[in-house]
Amino acid sequence: MEILFSFALWFGLYAIVALSLNLEYGFAGIPNFGKALAVLVGAISVGGIMNRILAYFYGISEDNVISLSSSVRGIVNDAILSDPVLGIVIFLSSITLASLLGAVAGVIFILPSVKLKQDYLAITLLAISEVVFLVTNYSTEIVGGYYGVSVPDVFTFSGNYRNTFFILVILLFAFLVYFFVERISNSPFGRVLKAMRENEDVLKASGKNIIVLRIKAAAIGSAIASIAGALFSLYSLNVIASSFTRVEWTFYPFLMVLLGGAGNNKGVLAGVAVFVFAKIFLTMFKFEITALLNLPFEAIWFEYMLFGILMFLVLYYKPEGIFKEKPIFTKPIKKVVYKISGAKNN
Amino acid sequence: MEIVLKTQNLSKFFGGLKALDNVNVSIQKNKITLIVGPNGSGKTTLINTVSGFYKADSGKVFFDGKDITNKPPHEISKLGITRTFQIPQPLKKLTVLENLLVFYNYGTELIEAVNGKWKKKESDATEKAFKILEFLKLDHLWDVQAQNLSGGQLKLLEIGRALMRESKLFIADEPVAGVNPVLAHEILSRFLKLKDEMSFLLVEHRLDIVLKYTDYIYVMANGKIIAEGREEVFEDPKVVEVYLSAKG
Repeated sequence: MEILFSFALWFGLYAIVALSLNLEYGFAGIPNFGKALAVLVGAISVGGIMNRILAYFYGISEDNVISLSSSVRGIVNDAILSDPVLGIVIFLSSITLASLLGAVAGVIFILPSVKLKQDYLAITLLAISEVVFLVTNYSTEIVGGYYGVSVPDVFTFSGNYRNTFFILVILLFAFLVYFFVERISNSPFGRVLKAMRENEDVLKASGKNIIVLRIKAAAIGSAIASIAGALFSLYSLNVIASSFTRVEWTFYPFLMVLLGGAGNNKGVLAGVAVFVFAKIFLTMFKFEITALLNLPFEAIWFEYMLFGILMFLVLYYKPEGIFKEKPIFTKPIKKVVYKISGAKNN
Repeated sequence: MEIVLKTQNLSKFFGGLKALDNVNVSIQKNKITLIVGPNGSGKTTLINTVSGFYKADSGKVFFDGKDITNKPPHEISKLGITRTFQIPQPLKKLTVLENLLVFYNYGTELIEAVNGKWKKKESDATEKAFKILEFLKLDHLWDVQAQNLSGGQLKLLEIGRALMRESKLFIADEPVAGVNPVLAHEILSRFLKLKDEMSFLLVEHRLDIVLKYTDYIYVMANGKIIAEGREEVFEDPKVVEVYLSAKG
């Protein structure tokens, strides 16, 4: 049962991040090597900003954000226990704040590099992400640096079922994100994003402003990924900057997207499922596997190495992923095709 | 004589190379203007500079009386100049139909993608696209990825995409290169029919096919306009010399 919960939790969180990356990379062709940054912004929204907002409302003051967060957590948890609606309000406010800040961060951080070609864009986004990560990790002013901060338990009222309830909420958000990205990617907007990925000059010749399109894609992608960061922080009841590494939140989501099939949202979900299953399996049995294979290195490195090799194999042997990208055949297109083929047959 | 596009002493350098050297051309409204010249004479550079893909180093470009010098390509396209590329630039993983739909004036608004208000435009765009594909004899390939088309078909796709836009000036860089002569004449006849609605600026080497459709000709060599007029330009000694030396 615990494995099932673990699978559902990580599937939900990674599905949100991978779907957002698929919109940016799979559709729009933006190689967002700074994906972890958007997830971190979601965590900062909860641990750094929402904590301070709650402290203001409850008149709490402390010397530093670490002590402040502990006090906020104690008082707010008590308040939520007596008024569950408060917990839901804080939860929804945190998610809204995270998505708004995520969108703003997405725009701000892509602006310096928006005019660059894809490879330069990728490396610039990676650099910006690393700078923000390091500052957040070493400064104790934002979210307590490597000490971290506490976060109120917004669903504390659900008692023993708290984790189950929270995981269901995360899965609900993953479903909503899937529905949202499917809706916008299966539209002329999604097609224009794909066209930008294929050939920027052609899109310019068609009268489309690729800078504005890149900004839009980055804003949506970052807003969605920030929601995952907020959910993860609210679920784990703390924010520690070192949890938001580029391996966990940039490299792994890229692997999921490439494995499932870039430009195919269903494929990406399949990629997430395969990855999360493999990760849980490896985490559970990595010592046994290491012993069995008599590996000459620490077991902890096995996971990173295996996923690195998997990424290489996917790119080399199956770059289109498990599920190939499909053309965007909307209902209006199908109607016109049906009408034309009907007329020809008559 | 109404002028739709005019360049004034337009120059473009690539390092020490003068690709365009004080070029002055005037493209007449509702006419087909042809630019010819040997390879490397600056024809494509002129198109790229006029359409905003290259920045001019000096000189001006006026379109419909407005100064459009060095405006970005998408703004120039929105003003009503549509261009094709000399080397076809397909959106490879998109189907033939999708390649055309991208050139219709819609699809950039996120809010429309969310509220679904694009459906009427998609329907109109698809109907228009199929009419163009039928004319170009590509309609049977509508759901084929562009990367699977032949060289000639890719040229037709370029023209098809440009026809999707409501443009005032159609700039076509070698529109019938690699296209069979029968279809090439059909395409140019179509341009003739469309002359009432738009103006054309063509760059083309296949003079045997294109000449009878053109109203005015510019001849370029070494980044300069060396002659202009009607078919008699080919009797100009400078033009004869340029072509003979290019062949030699």
